[in-house]
Amino acid sequence: MPEEEVLGPLPAGRHGFSREQVEHSQRERLIAGLAAAVAEHGYNAVTIAHVTKQARVSRRVFYENFDGKEGCFLAAFDVVVGHVRELAAEAVADEPDWAHRAVAAARAALGFFASEPDLARLCLVESTGAGPAVAARFREAARELVPLLELGRAERRAERPLPDSTEDSIVGALLLLASRKVATGEAERLGELLPDVTEFVLAPYLGAAEASRLAREAA
Amino acid sequence: MRALPGKASRQPPGRPPVSRDAAAADQRRRILDATADLVAEKGYQATTIEMIVRRAKVGYATFYKSFADKEAAFLTLVEEAIDGLDGRVRQAYDREREWPDKVAAGLGALFEEVAAHPNVAHACLVEAITAGPEAAALQESAMSRFAPLLKPGRELNPHRAQLPDTLEDTLMGGVIWVVNQRLIAGEAERLRALLPETLEFVLRPYVGEEVAAREAGTVTSAGAG
Repeated sequence: MPEEEVLGPLPAGRHGFSREQVEHSQRERLIAGLAAAVAEHGYNAVTIAHVTKQARVSRRVFYENFDGKEGCFLAAFDVVVGHVRELAAEAVADEPDWAHRAVAAARAALGFFASEPDLARLCLVESTGAGPAVAARFREAARELVPLLELGRAERRAERPLPDSTEDSIVGALLLLASRKVATGEAERLGELLPDVTEFVLAPYLGAAEASRLAREAA
Repeated sequence: MRALPGKASRQPPGRPPVSRDAAAADQRRRILDATADLVAEKGYQATTIEMIVRRAKVGYATFYKSFADKEAAFLTLVEEAIDGLDGRVRQAYDREREWPDKVAAGLGALFEEVAAHPNVAHACLVEAITAGPEAAALQESAMSRFAPLLKPGRELNPHRAQLPDTLEDTLMGGVIWVVNQRLIAGEAERLRALLPETLEFVLRPYVGEEVAAREAGTVTSAGAG
């Protein structure tokens, strides 16, 4: 799992890393430390001391990398979102059409978050309560899904165009469905949402019958 | 005593509170209004009791007579707002006969209430998630109150057996996201314009696109009139 490379501790003692690599690692350790601290205390209760203790680096190093807790959280959020984006891109590469790409991307994202409940909490639950800058980044990440969903409009047989806010509503529905699962401590079971997610996302574009066929296929 | 702006819109104008009970109720209301405004402005975490009593123009003793701490005041605010919203939505819903009209009326009432009291809505929807597990649970319970209003739509769907169990929650999630986006952008009043589209989104899985779009068209023309 690539994420474990990010989260793993630095080798102790003398190692072959250049100064730049060590600094990069310290940054990663701080990010991982923040994720662990947030999982334990919740974002709002987390202190820099919690993070540096988890990361086993000094306070000075923390402030060399981040201007504060929020900056560190944003970095952590970006790392996780970037990773999910990569996983989804890999997952869709061999799929034949838009619908199957959508399902593959959803499967990859749900699978990742199910295997990393702490990071799922950080991204999907804590991010909504971590202040305006984080909330804005969260919305930005969520909005990345909109143009990908809009590609489905080309699949529609009906002449009438879908309302403009369709993709927004779908994204909101998916995020709430997933974040509730995480908030109630069932992150490990996120994968179970895949058939419902498939049907819900595809129905406006492909019609109910085809969406439910693909949902059964995805199960 | 002068009526506060937030209060005037909620209560019919009448005699100023004179009895001790009425005065206490008025102070309590002001504390809750101040809490809503401050939480919407500064966020739950940054809001302090000191700010609340100053904004509400009451003493600390008055605050502590009604609420044990900031969280208690916030939870009361959210709880009462959800009860009020629930009442209005249900009233609008019950007035109509056909299920699609019921949903249109209920959703319209929801958007109207949010547009009329954006700070309270912001506190309940955007901030409640950040204010600890109890507040999040309240918000959760609100969702589960509205979901059953959608369930009768299943009867209208010939393939109802295939509708996922999570459908109502998912649709509520979409609606709340749309509301949240507008609240965060400070454009709660734009919700009124989004009613037809959001209604179509909610009805579609039950009645199909054509009927959903037609129903959405009826609230458009009603809204324009």
